[in-house]
Order: sequence, then C-alpha cells, then structure tokens
Amino acid sequence: MSGPSASSSSLEAKPLRPAASAAKAREPLNVLIVGVGGQGVIMVSKALAWLAQSKGYEVKQSEVHGMAKRGGTVFSHVRFGPQVWSPTIPKGEADILVALEWAEGLRWLPYLKPGSGIFICDTKRIVPPFACLNRQPGARLRYSRETPAEVKAHVAEGYAIDATQMAAELGNERAANVVLIGALSTALDFPAEDWEKALSSFVPKKTIQVNLDAFRLGRSWIADARRGATAAEQAPLAPMPERSDAPYSVRLEITPQWCKSCDICVKLCPERCLRLNAERVAELAQPEKCTGCRLCELLCPDFAIRVHLDRPVVDATAAQGARL
Amino acid sequence: MSSTFVDSAADFDVRDYLRMDMMPHFLCPGCGHGIALRALLWAMHELGIAKDQLAVVSGIGCAGRLSAYIDANTFHVTHGRPLAYATGLALARPDLHVVVITGDGDCLAIGGNHLIHACRRNLKLTCLMLNNEIYGMTGGQVSPTTSETMLTSTTPLGNSEPSFDACALAAAAGAGFVGREVTRHVPRLKELIKAGLAHPGFAFVEVLSDCTEIFGRKNDLGSSPEMMLRQKSDIRPSAYRDSVDTPFRANELPTGILAQTNRPEYGAAYRRAAAAQRASAAAQAGSANAKEDS
Repeated sequence: MSGPSASSSSLEAKPLRPAASAAKAREPLNVLIVGVGGQGVIMVSKALAWLAQSKGYEVKQSEVHGMAKRGGTVFSHVRFGPQVWSPTIPKGEADILVALEWAEGLRWLPYLKPGSGIFICDTKRIVPPFACLNRQPGARLRYSRETPAEVKAHVAEGYAIDATQMAAELGNERAANVVLIGALSTALDFPAEDWEKALSSFVPKKTIQVNLDAFRLGRSWIADARRGATAAEQAPLAPMPERSDAPYSVRLEITPQWCKSCDICVKLCPERCLRLNAERVAELAQPEKCTGCRLCELLCPDFAIRVHLDRPVVDATAAQGARL
Repeated sequence: MSSTFVDSAADFDVRDYLRMDMMPHFLCPGCGHGIALRALLWAMHELGIAKDQLAVVSGIGCAGRLSAYIDANTFHVTHGRPLAYATGLALARPDLHVVVITGDGDCLAIGGNHLIHACRRNLKLTCLMLNNEIYGMTGGQVSPTTSETMLTSTTPLGNSEPSFDACALAAAAGAGFVGREVTRHVPRLKELIKAGLAHPGFAFVEVLSDCTEIFGRKNDLGSSPEMMLRQKSDIRPSAYRDSVDTPFRANELPTGILAQTNRPEYGAAYRRAAAAQRASAAAQAGSANAKEDS
C-alpha cells in the first residue's frame, strides 16, 4: 500500500480500505502441527481437518512427511475458515502451533503469530541424527538447550506438556498426540463431544478408550494450567539420553610387517583419518579425528590393526545424572 | 533406565587365537578370507570356547589354508573331503566343537557329494563355506558359484553356466541351520557364526568373500575397498541398488539366517542306537550266563 497518504501516521491507524476489516473476519484460522516421523502428526491434522470440514468450513491441509520413516521432521498445515486460498501458512501467521517434539516446536516458532499465537508443545525429546554428527568420543549432543520457561517468555500463550509421560501413565505412550489434541481442543470452539467422535473414527478400534482418556487428560491439563493449578512453565523436560563428557583416548596399534597395503582401512574409515605412508603401510594420519569405531580393526584382512580404547565400556547410567 | 554400552570387540584380540609364528598369512592383499577368519575366532571368543575344545578341519584351496593359522586342533585334509574327515571326528569326539572351513569349489564341486550327505545326516558340526566365486589358488578357474558372464581363466568368453545357490542347496538337502553373510559386516557375520556354533545340528554358513587379486582384477571390479563397497549394495533395498553402486554377484542373495530346523541330530541318534545295542548284547550275555548257571 504505497501512496502519499500512507506516510501520514494519523492515517495508518485507520483501516486502509473499508473492506479490510470485513476481510479480516473471513481470514482462516491457521493451525500448524509439527513433530517427528511416527509420532502421529498427520493423524492429528486429519482429525482436525475432518472436524472443521464437518462444521461447514472450507479446509485446506498440506503436509510434508517424506522423511518420516527416518525419524525426520513432519509438518502439517491446517487452515480452515469461510474461505481458504493458499494451502500453506505464511511465516508469522499460525494461530496455534502444536508440536509433538520439543526441538521441532522450537524450530517452527517463527511461524507462530507474534502477540497472539498459542504454543502447545510436548517436552518429549527425540535426538535427531545430525545432533550426533560429531562422533568424537565424549562429544556433546547438539540438541536445543532452551528451557520451557525461556520459551514461554517469548510467546503470547505457551504450554509445555509432558504428554508422552501422561500417555504412558494411561497405558499407551503412542496416545501422546491425542493428549495434545485435547490441549488443542481448548483453543478452538468445537464441542468436546464432536472431537471425541472425530477421534474415535481416526484411531484403531482397540485403542479408542485409551485415546479418549488421553484427550480428556489433555483438556483438563490445560484447564488446570489456565487456572494456575499446574505451573505450565515448570513442566520438567523429558529426560534425554546423553553421552558422557569424560574424554577417552584412542590408540591404534599397527603391525607394519603384516600390512599388505590393500587400502581397505584407508578407504572405509568413516573419518578418513588413515593413510598409506611412503612404504605403502597403513598409518594413522590424523589421530585427533579417530573415534575408535574399530571398523579398520574389524575389516583388516591381515589382522594388522588393533584399536585400544582407554575406557572401552561407556556406562550410560552415569551419564544420566548430567541432564540438561 | 539403565543401559550399558559394552564394546564387545575390546577384550577380543585376534592374535590370542593365531599361530603367531605362521603370521603374516599367505592370502593376497584385500582377500576377504582373513575377515571371515576373524569373525570365526571372535564368535569362538564370545562363546567362551577354549582353543582345546575347537577342532578346525579344512580342505584344499585359499580357504583351506586358514586352518594353519588358527591356534587350535587343526586338520588340513584332502581336496573336497573336510566334511568327511569332520564327520568321523565329530562322531568320535562329540565334546569338541568341529568347524569345517572350505571354499566354494572345495565344498560344492570336489566335495559336493559330501556336502549334501552331511546336510542330510544333520551331524553337529559347523561348515563355514567361504565363497569367492573362483578357484583362486590354482589360477582362477571357473567355480560352481561364479556368477554368469564373469570372466575367469577357463571362461574367457564369460561364464555361461548358471551358478549354485549354496544356501538353497544346503537347506534342500536338510541342513539344520543355513545362513549367509558378507565379509563387510563383521559383527553380523560373527553373530551368524555364533548362532551356527550354538545350533545342535549341522550348520552351514556361507560367507560371501572377495577375491580381489584374481577374480576382481580379471573382471575389472576395482580395488579391494571398492569391491568391499560393492558388497554393501548387495544388502541394500533393490530400489537403491542401481543408483548407488552395482553388486557384481549375479544372483539376488539374501543374507542372515535363512533356514533353521530342529531335525534330530545324527550323532546323538547314533550314540543312542549304539547304547541300545550294547545294552541288548549285555542282556543277552547275561541271560546266556544265567542259562549256563542253571
């Protein structure tokens, strides 16, 4: 909207066009649902889209779930209203962001409408493969370090729910997405009975009861949080497996008389830290890169390599104490 | 939740199980047989089999030479007959873990007859067949497992004989345990050999090994690491196979445990029959004595 009048501050406060406020009312409600493959993101969005459609709204839903089987990101845009044009939600336009995984929720925060967006997030943490890219022994996982309290300060309305734990207590961890549906339902105007009807048609028959329980639990949790009975920002983060920080050193014992320069260790080392020296005998060229994975030892047909680790047994229970 | 990650390779040093005065071994650079030998010794280490409790019988060929490097009871016997020698050994000494190391030609061509009857008998022993698709030691002649169109010194126009699926053969002949693995996946190969050693009947384990110097060179399959990377594609889903890298084996060979049955074991049945025969002979002698006494 450019024009001479636009520069005037007094005019900016008024609607630019008479029809603008009317158009505003016709704008769709945007719900963005994100998570990790296998968590049930698509099921949540399908239930919501089906319900909105049954209420006579125009619904558009679009999703990306290509890498789902690899534990990759899955997101689904659901838009419904009197009229919906684009199937995707622009950045900063989502009215509600439902995240089934903590880091995914943080990743999609820029899509949330600043000032009024509602952020509903499971504190479940699924560490993606790229967080482990540094395979150096003792390397820290590069997972997000933000606490729920820090995130809540940045959104208009935020809920961090340990939905996975709640669902597990009900008897089926996989109903965590329905706990979040319960939470989501409090932010929308559809009656609870209709939600339950929609859910019953989307979950497997055997699990209808546990899913309905999960839905009611999610609803009551949000109601408690709104009353202040549950401290939403105090919800603890779900525990995350972490590797020990104590470094350990790796030493390669190479028997040069046995090496036949077949090059297998050099070419198959994942860190590419070996090489053949001038005599065509394997040697460790970059000791700092070696992670002690033992691939060279196992694949050497001539038994010329032996990997020595100072601390061959890594006790994961000791690392459990050092949570975020 | 308490979980401990144990590095099972840490306390296994293959040199503890080798005849160090025989090392380094005679195999060519990059030959997969050395890896198979490591997997066998690793499996033995994990099962806690003492060196005195292991008897290795091997035939002639590159694979046959492996027994010479193992610090255990070893027999290097005639071409194609390691299963025959091992059958006698396993019957006489059921307390031993008898392992046969044999090659594809040794096992399927020269000793093919012994293989099918050993499978049929289902005597408790473990047969480790190292399949490199060629007679490497004698100059690279075509073997029963050479893939079609492959060049060898006796098939200069490319092999036109269909190859044997050794595992299907062993399973059809009645082997109690049949499995196959590539040398690239050493821990999985170790687990497979472990399962074979623990099986109460005849266990046939085929190891897909690489002959880099003769088979690989003749067929332009690349260097040792390249041949090893080709193995990887053998176990990839076929959808990815063409796009990543091409396996050289003609057949779609599945890996893992391919057959496992609980057929009666021959050695135990034989010992039962022998004991029953001894008992009846003793009873007859006893009754004869009683008659003489009366």
